[in-house]
Amino acid sequence: MTVLLEMKERLKLFYSKGEPFLLPLVKFLLAFITFNTLNGRMGYMTQLDNIAVVLIAALTCSFLPGGAMVFFAAIFSLAHMYALSLEVALVGLCVYLVMYLLFFRFSPKDSLVVVVTPLLCAMKIPYVVPIVVGLLCSPMSAVSVGCGVVVYYVIEAIVGNASNIRTMGDDEMIAKVRILLEAITGNKAMLLVVVSFAITILVVYFIRRMSIDYSWTIAMIAGVMINVVVLLVGDLLYDINISVGGALLGSLLAIAVAKVVEFFRFCVDYSRVEKVQFEDDEYYYYVKAIPKMSVSMSTKTVKKINTQQSRSAAGGRGGALRHTGRITQPSRTVDRSTGGRAGVNRTTGERSESGRNAGSRRGNGGSDNVRGSGAGRNQRSSAYTQNRGNVTIGSTVRQDLADSEAEDTMEDYEELY
Amino acid sequence: MLNEERIILMTRMASFEKGEGKENVKVGNYFRSDYITVQLLKAIVSGAVAFVILFGLYVCYHFEELMQDLYQMDLLAFVQNIIFYFIGLVAGYGVLTYLVSSWRYNKARKSLKCYYHNLKKLNSLYNDMQ
Repeated sequence: MTVLLEMKERLKLFYSKGEPFLLPLVKFLLAFITFNTLNGRMGYMTQLDNIAVVLIAALTCSFLPGGAMVFFAAIFSLAHMYALSLEVALVGLCVYLVMYLLFFRFSPKDSLVVVVTPLLCAMKIPYVVPIVVGLLCSPMSAVSVGCGVVVYYVIEAIVGNASNIRTMGDDEMIAKVRILLEAITGNKAMLLVVVSFAITILVVYFIRRMSIDYSWTIAMIAGVMINVVVLLVGDLLYDINISVGGALLGSLLAIAVAKVVEFFRFCVDYSRVEKVQFEDDEYYYYVKAIPKMSVSMSTKTVKKINTQQSRSAAGGRGGALRHTGRITQPSRTVDRSTGGRAGVNRTTGERSESGRNAGSRRGNGGSDNVRGSGAGRNQRSSAYTQNRGNVTIGSTVRQDLADSEAEDTMEDYEELY
Repeated sequence: MLNEERIILMTRMASFEKGEGKENVKVGNYFRSDYITVQLLKAIVSGAVAFVILFGLYVCYHFEELMQDLYQMDLLAFVQNIIFYFIGLVAGYGVLTYLVSSWRYNKARKSLKCYYHNLKKLNSLYNDMQ
């Protein structure tokens, strides 16, 4: 578990460092996959089914807000529909407009969900969507998931009836619209999936918000079961022929994905739950505090020590410093700190020889890092870690002053005397 | 001199202003009744447009039957039915919008209250320093 937590911290650090580049890259990849899937499924407009066009559109989406991806995907699908038939494009446009006007207004920030849902449906792994959305989003996101499912089934209806529509002449306008509307409104599988996903999202959301131990795990298992049960009942009632094996395998995959999401989003240690009770003038408080699991990752610090300045700094303080030139030192600190409480990292197996050079301002010589008492304090302690050089010889840790800190200390010293 | 508490507070407030606060400040500029009325008006317009689109699709779907029965059917009853469905859709959508916008307004006010509390605290920290 420690290795996983350490890996998580590394990933977080990697993301925080490269966020300006990673986010557009992820957007680009998602847009690229979406447009390619659309081209693969429909592909009626040959001009759009071109890698250069897809790349340009995906690159544009990478630096625009998330809603742009939905807009571009809608344009792509409408263009393909138009290439098939004008009537199909009109029906598609009407469906998109009705969804936007009536439903998408309630959850405009869920553009990612609207794009990902039909994409995963096309990849035959749609059961991941309601579980993950229930865990991460609000109940209103059920509307976005429903819109995504409808989009998928509309595209499937168009693809399924494309050969019929192509054979029809231009004078059979109404017949084309009718075929398509029949395929969309008579699709009971679509309604069943929309209903089962909405119920699953609500169940997962409400269970994971409950104040019970392992609420996230219970929520995802309950959600998967509810989803499968609703799909099977619907299958029996309307004879839709849903693949039971596919639903079960998809559900197992959904649980696996949900566990990964839980690890990154809600990693807590239920063995250290604390229940406290107190009161003020107006209320009684019954508080349940669950500590988060976290590990400070091992870091490598490279310090170039300026011999001349450090020697002068050391001379001013009694010459307690020794210099060994360029030193590379991995300092490994492991803690299991409590969220919102002050936990202290401990560096085990190392003897600290901070001596006088550590100075009273810097406290002791270990790599103590007070957590949980605010971002400012964390930032400050990490700044100290950067400015400090840890030199390990055998099991001994020696604190050496970095150049800048040595100068600061000298100034303080001169001010004092 | 750097004040750690003040920096934490300002960081938290800046993060709020950049994220959810942007939308909440917009909502908080309205009185409750004004915000809900604006949302309801938008909902009525959206509902009406959506109804026209749906009615157009219905007409396309039943075009042949409508053309055949146009002279035999009771047009007044047909129009009454359409108006009934129109009112039903718009009213239903309006109620849903009312519930959602009330919930959103309350949520936004609550988070703004917290934001203003932090603002006051920041002000008092500055005053203490002086």
